[in-house]
Amino acid sequence: MSRSINYTSSPLLASKTPVWRSKFIVACLALAFAGLAGRAAYVQVFGNEFFQRQGEVRFARTLELPANRGKVLDRNGLILASSVVAQSIWAIPEDVDKNDPKLAKLARLLDMPLPELRRKLANEDKTFVWVQRQVDEPVARQIAALEIKGIYQRREYKREYPEGEAAAHVVGFTNVEDRGQEGVELTFNEQLSGRNGSRRVIKDRLGRVVEDVRDVVPPVDGRDLQLSIDSKVQFFAYQKLKDAVQAHKAKAGSVVVIDTITGEVLALANYPSYNPNRRRNLTGEQLRNRVLTDSFEPGSIMKPFIAALALEKGLVRPDTPINTAPGRITIGGSTISDSHPNNVLTVNEVIQKSSNVGTVKMAMQMSPREMWETYAQAGFGQKPQVPFPGAVSGRLRPYKTWRPIEQATMSYGYGLSTSLFQLAQAYTVFARDGELVPVTLLKTDEPATGVRVFSEKNAQAVRHMLAMATSAGGTAVKAQTIGYSVGGKTGTARKQEGKGYADKKYRAWFVGLAPVEKPRIVVAVMVDEPNNGQFYGGLVAAPVFSETVQQTLRILGVQPDMSVKPQIVTEVVEESF
Amino acid sequence: MIRLNLVLLLAVLASAFYLVHTQYESRRLYTAIDRAQAQARKLESEHEQLQVQKRAQATPSRVQQLATRQLDMRPVTPGITEYVVMPASAPAPATEAAR
Repeated sequence: MSRSINYTSSPLLASKTPVWRSKFIVACLALAFAGLAGRAAYVQVFGNEFFQRQGEVRFARTLELPANRGKVLDRNGLILASSVVAQSIWAIPEDVDKNDPKLAKLARLLDMPLPELRRKLANEDKTFVWVQRQVDEPVARQIAALEIKGIYQRREYKREYPEGEAAAHVVGFTNVEDRGQEGVELTFNEQLSGRNGSRRVIKDRLGRVVEDVRDVVPPVDGRDLQLSIDSKVQFFAYQKLKDAVQAHKAKAGSVVVIDTITGEVLALANYPSYNPNRRRNLTGEQLRNRVLTDSFEPGSIMKPFIAALALEKGLVRPDTPINTAPGRITIGGSTISDSHPNNVLTVNEVIQKSSNVGTVKMAMQMSPREMWETYAQAGFGQKPQVPFPGAVSGRLRPYKTWRPIEQATMSYGYGLSTSLFQLAQAYTVFARDGELVPVTLLKTDEPATGVRVFSEKNAQAVRHMLAMATSAGGTAVKAQTIGYSVGGKTGTARKQEGKGYADKKYRAWFVGLAPVEKPRIVVAVMVDEPNNGQFYGGLVAAPVFSETVQQTLRILGVQPDMSVKPQIVTEVVEESF
Repeated sequence: MIRLNLVLLLAVLASAFYLVHTQYESRRLYTAIDRAQAQARKLESEHEQLQVQKRAQATPSRVQQLATRQLDMRPVTPGITEYVVMPASAPAPATEAAR
């Protein structure tokens, strides 16, 4: 039996629903929509900034774009210092399993005792610990291959110095933060260091960069620095100096080579030196750039300035005889003597034989003021205009305080002090026909304009005297070279210790120029406390000068100005040239 | 009327899908370019490193050591050097070669 019921007559629908119920539902829905609209307005309009930020925190990252530190180059563009990538190893101590056997391997790779490594990882409160900074790339790769939990790497830059100890004092070095600490790395730190850039990016789930949010701030690399140093000259000078210091069992030594045409420093070396790539247990002795930071009494090296001034004032001519007998002179109660007494000497010979008495006799005809002015013009007592940390000015007392005996001793180089660098620069006066050349450590191609101190004629006359000092009968025969004529002056002085002069402690040096007719370089050599029987500048420092000049002029392509006996045929016949 | 609406709906859908695709593609390419740039930077720093290493192998001290020890060479002196003056560019009159 089936009975169908019509929809309209369904008894279930018979009951009347109150109207408020449907209205209530509609109202509820409307409210819900209003709520949604309000929320949407809040999220997209009022609270937009907050949500944008929250979103960005979750997928946007700021990446640092590291800038490269500029290179230091020599005059031929060869690298003296350059930054290379090095990984630094760091750890989250809490995450590292202290019993991991791989830690021993890590310690071995890092060349670090295992207990020290454990000590570094001991403090679990820290969330970041450097294990070792600036590890070489191959080692870093091996460490990465170990996959120790809690050990991470970070890319950093490390400075490399291919020339090593030969150029260490000029170039200097940087610390782990890539800041200059010594040498030109310090003085030109501003120019060399770059400015890091940054970019804001969106990263996806896999850490890949998918979009740049803002404009990229590009990194600004540091500018390269081209020095006037010639790495070949530098190396030879350093090597010859090192050999001499070791042969004479000396404490230290220095050498400077200056190009007289441009005023560029071609080489500047000190021994003992250090390897800037491995700077452990460095001593102040090794670090000191003696050429610029050590001042001493220049001794006989000053005599040519007195001779030049005497010529300049018309007091003497190069062949004027001066009686130096009996090798002693008394001034103000003090006696000055020559170590090898002579009789009558010409001015030429006074310089050649380095006679104290002869020099004093010339100097006492001048006023202290004239002497002081000449010394000051030659750069003594003034800080050299080179951008270098710790360059000293030496000491030249005002002429008003000079007593006669002091004027006398100052004429042969006692009672004032100077650095080797100042001496080398001062000798450019003779090399440049009377002009003092401004010296630079940076490469220039233009000839320098000098400041006139002496007239051309007189400077040439003194240069002739300097040449005589290195020829037979002079004090520095060992300064001679094969092929090139040289001129120069030796100096030997007892070292000052406290108030007096030390017994048996000497300093020997030689400053000279070559070739004599048309000087191209000035070379200054100083050996501190030679201790192997010989201590005269002519025996200790002059040979270093000779070899340095020989090599430097050959590297510069200067043709020998003296005839040379060919040695080609005397050797083995198979050798072909 | 309904047909036009259908066509427009399809057009909207197609455009929307294309937009999604383009967005995806642009991100993929951006990642690729970023990776390539990173690679370039890495190669550049490697190049730098190799330059330094090359220089370290050619320093005067090393060259001299190898030359004297392995090749039995010795430093030149003017005595075993023939100086040649180029007549055209020589500022001074060409002198007899120093020998």
